[in-house]
Amino acid sequence: MAIIEVNKLSKTFKVKLKEKGLKGSLKSIIKPKYKEIKAVKNISFQVEKGEIIAFIGPNGAGKSTTIKMLTGILYPDKGNIKVLDIDPRQERKKLAYEIGTVFGQKEQLWTHLTPYDNFKFFGAIYDIPESRVEKKIKEFTELFEIEEFINTPVRNLSLGQRIRCEIIASLIHEPKVLFLDEPTIGLDPVVKENIRTLIKRMNKEYKTTIFLTSHDVGDIEKLCKRVIIINNGTVVLDDSMENLKYHYLNKKIVEAKMKEKVNLDDEEGITILKDKGYNLKIEVDTKKRSIADAIKLLNPDNIVDINISNIPLEDIISNIYKKDRK
Amino acid sequence: MKKYIFIFKSEIMTNFQYILNILTHFIGTFILLFIFLNLWQYIYSDPNKLINGYNMNQMIWYVIVTEVLWTSVGARQLSRKISLDVKSGNIAYNLNKPYNYIGYSLSSHLGSISVRLLIYIILGIIVGYLFLGSFPNLNIINIILVLLSGILAITINILFTISIGLLSFIIEDSSPIYWLYSKLILVLGVIFPIEYFPKVVQPILNYSPIYAMSYGPAKLLIDFTYINFSKIFISQIIYLIIAYSLCMLVYKKGVKNLNVNGG
Repeated sequence: MAIIEVNKLSKTFKVKLKEKGLKGSLKSIIKPKYKEIKAVKNISFQVEKGEIIAFIGPNGAGKSTTIKMLTGILYPDKGNIKVLDIDPRQERKKLAYEIGTVFGQKEQLWTHLTPYDNFKFFGAIYDIPESRVEKKIKEFTELFEIEEFINTPVRNLSLGQRIRCEIIASLIHEPKVLFLDEPTIGLDPVVKENIRTLIKRMNKEYKTTIFLTSHDVGDIEKLCKRVIIINNGTVVLDDSMENLKYHYLNKKIVEAKMKEKVNLDDEEGITILKDKGYNLKIEVDTKKRSIADAIKLLNPDNIVDINISNIPLEDIISNIYKKDRK
Repeated sequence: MKKYIFIFKSEIMTNFQYILNILTHFIGTFILLFIFLNLWQYIYSDPNKLINGYNMNQMIWYVIVTEVLWTSVGARQLSRKISLDVKSGNIAYNLNKPYNYIGYSLSSHLGSISVRLLIYIILGIIVGYLFLGSFPNLNIINIILVLLSGILAITINILFTISIGLLSFIIEDSSPIYWLYSKLILVLGVIFPIEYFPKVVQPILNYSPIYAMSYGPAKLLIDFTYINFSKIFISQIIYLIIAYSLCMLVYKKGVKNLNVNGG
């Protein structure tokens, strides 16, 4: 059953234009000019119950605008949205009880209060009975390992500790869908990993559907089974992570350290990425040339060390972004 | 309703950390009060003389009440905060929470000023007593009704201020409107009672929000009658509805056209 249904969704923003200098400022008062920015253009997709989906794209692609329309913050110009069979335009308040949101760049906790008081606060605004809130706090305190700082004012917590509490605050009312907008932004690798483990555990234990946007490839690779890539307001890819990787896995990176210098040029199926005389980095398209062919070209007797790897997911994604731009 | 009480409570908890700030703030209010009190003492060469129907004691208590009502609200910060929320798009993050934004802002601001209000009332009473050596003649029920009227006055002021802040949806910067609003209240409602203004202006002021927000509760403290109370109470209820409706109107219109830049 689809938990999120988006059909031909569009959103245009009207932005005021101002010419340079004082003259421009005066002109904009008398005769203001506006520019229309099509942030989201006719996008459609569905998300199934219990999925962890990555909704990614470069800056300004329309990710956050889409999330804001899905959560009822922004009104779309055209198209239909159903989240848990609720239209966010018509029943924003009803939807609010069913979803949770974490915006990594926006604090929703009261910084002068402790996490415990904050959780009680969120319990109250979602009309959760006090005994249930207490039970949930206890449960999440263990799951997210926050016993140590549950009574420390939020303003004194580290970013990683705060994000953990932000996620708990958005889960107190047991939402069926959780929207995470860059939840690991600014975190160090260890804390990032910790947050990812918690998100995974939460999805497994509570069957929460997770809609994630992130610029961090690690988040996407480690958490999501499906990825939607949006660029210039349109969906450019909607596929499983496996397919995405498989599609690009026919390309391998061969890095070799040579005894003697080799003179190689680009040829069909082989692209020279780096040539520093004794050190070579080439890309082999295995659909056109086999790895064995590539090694033969290098001369196996001449190779001191060799490393064959897949193209990093980060490069795959940025290639998709670039291709779409062209 | 429970959630709004919780929002109110959470703000009180936050503000308990700022007692020192509040006391420092009161010094400014005290200086202003001190100037007015001396001015009125100078004007009233004979304390029992009536000027426009007020003796000196009544006049001084009037100014204390209106000053406390006006300064404890912190309307400038509230209007600026809401206006900034609108301009920066932060207001959007309140939209996907299951509460009414106006109710949230009202209960949150009431919570944030309640500690200050309590301290200002106590300090206002002390200042008045030190100056005049007596309290207004009120029984316990009168005091409760005056307090109720004071709270209603503050609520109306907060709602009007929220609606001014929300005007940033339409005019980008609502601070000039707030400036005009605050000066009108200060001149027409805080410093002088309505009876001090020309006869032609008085009926207008009697039907204006100033009657409900400033003049009413102060007049009740110095001249409590149940007729006065019912007139003021009715006016306050009407203005409460008007101010709330105004907030909702601007808010609903603004939210429909809300532009929030994505990330």
